[in-house]
Amino acid sequence: MLKHNIGIGFRKDFAEEFLNTQILKPSFIELAPENWIDMGGYWKKLLDQAAEKYPITCHGLSLSIGSPDELDVAFVKQVKKFLKQYNVKVYSEHLSYSKCDNAHLYDLLPIPFKADAVKHIVARIKQVQDILEMPLVLENVSYYTPIAAEMNEHEFITAIINESNCKMLLDVNNVYVNAFNHNYNPKEFIQKLPLHNISYIHMAGHEKVSDTLIIDTHGQAIIDPVYELFNFASSLIKPVPVLLERDFNIPEMEELQNELSKIDAIVSKKWEVENAIA
Amino acid sequence: MQLLNNETRKQQQKLANYCRNGITIKIEKSIPENIPHYRRLVYNIITDTLETAYPITYNYLPDEQWNNLVHGFFSNHKCQTPQVWRMPLEFYEYVVANNIAEFYKIPFLNDLLYFEWIELEVHTMPDIDYPTIKQNASLLTDIIAINPEYKLIQLNYPVHLIAPVDKLEEKHGTYFLLAFRNKQNGNVQFMDLSILFAYIIENIANEITLSKIISNADALFQINDINTLQKHVLAFIEDLKQREFIIGFKL
Repeated sequence: MLKHNIGIGFRKDFAEEFLNTQILKPSFIELAPENWIDMGGYWKKLLDQAAEKYPITCHGLSLSIGSPDELDVAFVKQVKKFLKQYNVKVYSEHLSYSKCDNAHLYDLLPIPFKADAVKHIVARIKQVQDILEMPLVLENVSYYTPIAAEMNEHEFITAIINESNCKMLLDVNNVYVNAFNHNYNPKEFIQKLPLHNISYIHMAGHEKVSDTLIIDTHGQAIIDPVYELFNFASSLIKPVPVLLERDFNIPEMEELQNELSKIDAIVSKKWEVENAIA
Repeated sequence: MQLLNNETRKQQQKLANYCRNGITIKIEKSIPENIPHYRRLVYNIITDTLETAYPITYNYLPDEQWNNLVHGFFSNHKCQTPQVWRMPLEFYEYVVANNIAEFYKIPFLNDLLYFEWIELEVHTMPDIDYPTIKQNASLLTDIIAINPEYKLIQLNYPVHLIAPVDKLEEKHGTYFLLAFRNKQNGNVQFMDLSILFAYIIENIANEITLSKIISNADALFQINDINTLQKHVLAFIEDLKQREFIIGFKL
């Protein structure tokens, strides 16, 4: 039994096994609304079963908040309907773009770290929040190259979060990946973020593809340095929900539960002490 | 008011276009050796999704033809759906709109893709409310209730009958296929239909009594033997009941 709010990504690859096991017991589940909106039949049944057993948070893929295109208002309204249908209180997305020139790309591309991009995205965040009537939570994404950057990553993220007053999803693995790929200190990076706006944390595994590059795959177990970074981050922020992302190479349920327990043990030390002092 | 500078927009477009068409680009203040990872990651999603949606077509086409087709699709077509699992429908529509079947000299290509898409569509389509029904009534004079989660499609080649795909190009004709979803387990069942039985299902769906349908069919298909026709139709109806496509009678 987990003491804290620790969830797991609900994936079709293991949805049925997950719903029929007593081994994996997260506090909540997270899913991508794009993968479930307007879906009926077998998958809808599983989703409804999951919704009966667990609170749901949503983590979108296609909002494309950093896109140079117009915001897809019809899509945001579809998401809103889905959030309402499943009583979803947290909707997070990626600080990236996945649509350009009216074409979806279905993956997360890096936004130029530039002042005009900040203003463009801040306006779009406000537009999304107005439609959804709830805060948008934005994740720091992993990136493998900067694009025409005129500021550094933490300045870019901080400006967007502060100017839009949206919430932030701290993806600890992405900080680790980016720090490795772009040669910066991950702890210093986290310290510079708008910590008071962090309302959600993601943890995941990654794949080191060369001596100079890590790819954020969500296909491996979390490595110790990422746990260590999480330990550090959790000492700086207030208790928030934490999610384990595992999208590929799904292991045995025991292994996923062990990862949840490990995350829980770390935050138990940090957040219970903090609460006791408070 | 436009807040994004044209130059910023241009850099974003360059990266996105590269991910779609793979044509090498230069991007300001980037790590050039890492840019191909974006193309690889994006393209893997596209190929994985299409190969999962169209396993028969993927296995039938030679690798080079399949790869060229996918590359052409993603380079030239602007994917509209934000839901990646729906993207294969756009792939099918692209193949039809661009006469790829003719270009590749595979006349049944459109039908093969459509058949594969229909399975996915029926499996995933939004739930449709079942009608309120009764179980005891007259098959001939009451309104038969059917499973509402179905598609009745017409094909020019029997892509649903021949596996593996073999000499299909010689079998041009008119074929009908019923695809419906089992309410309990969500599985999709297929039934090959003659034109007569397709006509019967279409008319049952339009809430016409079986007696009237048989009478109309006898004239339409110039059978001129209503008793024999009724015997065959009732056997077909019994089969549909066994398969749980016919679920009872409307109230």
